[in-house]
Amino acid sequence: MGMKGYDLAQTLSPIPPADKPDRLKAVWLSTNHYGVKDDVTHGLVQALTSRSGYPREEVREEVNGWTEVFSAYWKAIGELLAVDGDSIVNGRRTSWTKVYEAWKEMTMALHRGYTHHNFEAWTIPCLYTAGKYLRAFAIKSDEERGQIDAGGDGLEIRDDFDPEMEKHQQLRDCEQQLKRIFTLCLTDRAEITESRKWGIYAIVNLLFKTYFKLNSANLARTILKALSTNKGNMPPLEAFPAAQRVTFKYYEGVLSFLEENYVEAEKHLDEAWRGCKKDAMPNKERILAYLIPCRLLTTHTLPSKALLEPFPRLQKSFLPLAQCIRRGDLHGFDLALQQGEEEFVKRRIYLTLERGRDIALRNLLRKVFLAKGFEEPKNPGDAPLRKTRIRVAEFGAAISFANRETTDSDEVECLLANMIYKNLMKGYISREHGIVVLSKNGAFPGTGV
Amino acid sequence: MPHASSRLASPPPPDSRLLSSPSAHDSLSAPAYTPVQVRQGFGQYPHVPSSTNSLGPFAPAPIPAQVNQNANVPPNPTPMDGTPSAPPPKGKVSFSDAVRNYVRRAFLPANLDPTIRRQDIEAKLKETISYAADNGLLDSTDWDAMPLPVELIKKDLLARLNMPHPHPGPISPVGSNGSASKKRKSSDRAEVAAVPWRSTNARTSSLEDRITHPPADNRPAVDEPLPKSSKFQKQMEKRQRRWGNYQSAPRSPTPPPTMGPVVGTCEVLEKRYLRLTSAPVPSQVRPEHVLHKTVELLKKKWRKENNYSYICDQLKSVRQDLTVQRIKNNFTVSVYELHARIALEKGDLGEYNQCQTQLRSLYGLGLAGNPIEFKAYRILYFIHTANRTGLSDALADLTPAEKRELPIKHALHVRTALALGNYHRFFRLYLDTPNMGAYLMDMFVVRERLAALCNICKAYKPDVKLRFITEELGFESDHDAAQFIVDYNGQHLLEERGEHIALLTGKAGALFESARAAAFRRVDIKGQI
Repeated sequence: MGMKGYDLAQTLSPIPPADKPDRLKAVWLSTNHYGVKDDVTHGLVQALTSRSGYPREEVREEVNGWTEVFSAYWKAIGELLAVDGDSIVNGRRTSWTKVYEAWKEMTMALHRGYTHHNFEAWTIPCLYTAGKYLRAFAIKSDEERGQIDAGGDGLEIRDDFDPEMEKHQQLRDCEQQLKRIFTLCLTDRAEITESRKWGIYAIVNLLFKTYFKLNSANLARTILKALSTNKGNMPPLEAFPAAQRVTFKYYEGVLSFLEENYVEAEKHLDEAWRGCKKDAMPNKERILAYLIPCRLLTTHTLPSKALLEPFPRLQKSFLPLAQCIRRGDLHGFDLALQQGEEEFVKRRIYLTLERGRDIALRNLLRKVFLAKGFEEPKNPGDAPLRKTRIRVAEFGAAISFANRETTDSDEVECLLANMIYKNLMKGYISREHGIVVLSKNGAFPGTGV
Repeated sequence: MPHASSRLASPPPPDSRLLSSPSAHDSLSAPAYTPVQVRQGFGQYPHVPSSTNSLGPFAPAPIPAQVNQNANVPPNPTPMDGTPSAPPPKGKVSFSDAVRNYVRRAFLPANLDPTIRRQDIEAKLKETISYAADNGLLDSTDWDAMPLPVELIKKDLLARLNMPHPHPGPISPVGSNGSASKKRKSSDRAEVAAVPWRSTNARTSSLEDRITHPPADNRPAVDEPLPKSSKFQKQMEKRQRRWGNYQSAPRSPTPPPTMGPVVGTCEVLEKRYLRLTSAPVPSQVRPEHVLHKTVELLKKKWRKENNYSYICDQLKSVRQDLTVQRIKNNFTVSVYELHARIALEKGDLGEYNQCQTQLRSLYGLGLAGNPIEFKAYRILYFIHTANRTGLSDALADLTPAEKRELPIKHALHVRTALALGNYHRFFRLYLDTPNMGAYLMDMFVVRERLAALCNICKAYKPDVKLRFITEELGFESDHDAAQFIVDYNGQHLLEERGEHIALLTGKAGALFESARAAAFRRVDIKGQI
């Protein structure tokens, strides 16, 4: 595929290159509404002729396709300049919705190029550019509409309003377009070297991003299913560019995370983490935000200070939690969770982190166990044995202390029962005697005692 | 058994806030449902209160005749601190300088028109400002750009001149204000708010265009939008030109007269629900003032007949009429709250969920209602359906002030208790649920009992007293606790021991595990029928 695909895609970017800030204006001024198609065709033919003589008949079709694409691009640029209030377009009123519509026209022209005008597979980076900005404009349009009038005045034939629909109307439409592109890439039957299948992960990543924004991450599952049924005739993930791989693994991990499948999530996130470029700090931060809670639940591992060092934000959210869990400080844990609540809820890790309280409690009970010390050895030479019978009241005192408030005995028992049920503590409660009998070997599995 | 007896001694008091809803009608008329008691049975759905019971303490009150009984006054003692955008009660509104200036400008001699009477200007002013106040738009409206009452009245006049048929709905108080105000008497404030919409109907736009605005500017052809641009867009453009920057003010009190929603003309109170398959026909849609009467009638019927399938059907058709007419105001909130409560009481989670989704966005608009109560239900609902995404959203929706409100605090505690497996605390909370939350908790209490039982059976050896189970799992009596265990085939675990009955937890093995897993699996995720 090489870089020429990306170079071509660059010509369809709605952002002017840094060294030519006036490029969009130049494009806009270079032609007009009536002449745009002829001008584009003329330009294309001229460019082709100068390189390899007058284009042959079969190339004509392709030229027609690109003419459609570039004229649509020209129109979209007009809308874009207008929405930025550029005087070049006479300051007429416009909206992001129009930018979106115009950009969608271009995207569709591009799509038609592959289905009707024999566009070659090396040009697929154009689809990435189209999709990427289609999504961006859809979001802008939704935001803008939300500010003006959330309701709009379209015809209602529903029983109830659909608030989500109204909020993300354009983005939903965008999702449909992206899915069309996804299918366009997935169903290409050409030889793998000449296949649009090489575009699949770039588009999938865009789709995932869109689903998360639409608050319907579950829809991403259907995409994953489609991918896995077509696995046989697709290049392996490893063959794709690192950036696409890492992003894909990240989303796959977050998806499993949200489905509470922490083992899977950890696997994917770990892959993303290892594939991530060393200096891509924002991406690493994103990955860690889910990987840390994952590890907390799967292996009860807490993040070290050194790991968090380069990420001040993560440090602020996770370090106090980790310290309280380590110390068995229940009250401190509750406070730290409350402190970070807004951030945690936003990232959807709150409900997972909350379960870290169990680990804090386990550590606290373990301390009580260790403090009880050893039995008197029956014979002077015997190996020392830990005391394994602990009164519920003793645990209760520790829990009340760590909670900074008195916890009644029934609740203490309930918490102890939970520890046993979740295999964080081995033993049983004898209610008749008010004691906990802990296992002689491995009362707190995985902690060395 | 201290807690059981205290529970019996003090049943949840009939909560008057259950019975009210935000519009003036509602707060003055009789309630449509009875307060909920914590139920101890095993059945899937709560029992149906007998109709005599529900009529009991609440004598029907007359329907208010006064328009100015403001729909906006919060009908219940729930503190509204948590909803900053909720409009404050009328009378206590302190108007901003922008509003005052607008009023001042309205009466400046330079702005007056000899053909328009002063009282009409006053009426129009009142209408405009109370619309903004009712919808919480006082601060967000650009009062400097707002057309003056004189201009609005002229527009109305033009609009009516051009109207092909006599207007079915109430007419804005222009000209012969006698008949207009009479008509409005039986309706409430919210309806007044809808007037600007009506009086500037789609049908009237063409003449108005020609008179009030010169033909569209002659822009260069190159500027024309893409040929694909939809009709809607063109209209949007036209509208923007016409209104200038005034249009950018959110939710203007006089929305533009193009392509408005349907305006109903149906005067029949009751209507069967039919799913719409095409654009609604005005003659089959009831305008808001009729819907008010419909709802009053439905409440009465519900109290008398308690026929859920009838009431659900009727309320759905009310909701549909509101939706097609794009009516989103305090009355809309009251309809959804009413249906939500009735659906909860009847265990109809599908309808309940639909109402709750609407309520969430309606409260988001700053409309008055009972957001605290319903946000608490929402949390409990998502606990029931085990919907983590929904739960996360519900949490993210809460303001710090709301988190301190009792019903929400309760729901949050329930959530925390369950997340940490703290069944001890969970069942304490269950016995002390505010409002109608117990209907929701009833739906998941069985599975939580099974979960707790699994827990206890694994942790306690060799046995516990049955009384312990009764108390920890919030059963009404030892008998109920025993029955529950027997229902799940645990009869062999119960043993008479003279003074007491023992539950042989040590011998239970994984007996309750499969029942527990099944109970959690059965959750109807979307709550849809």
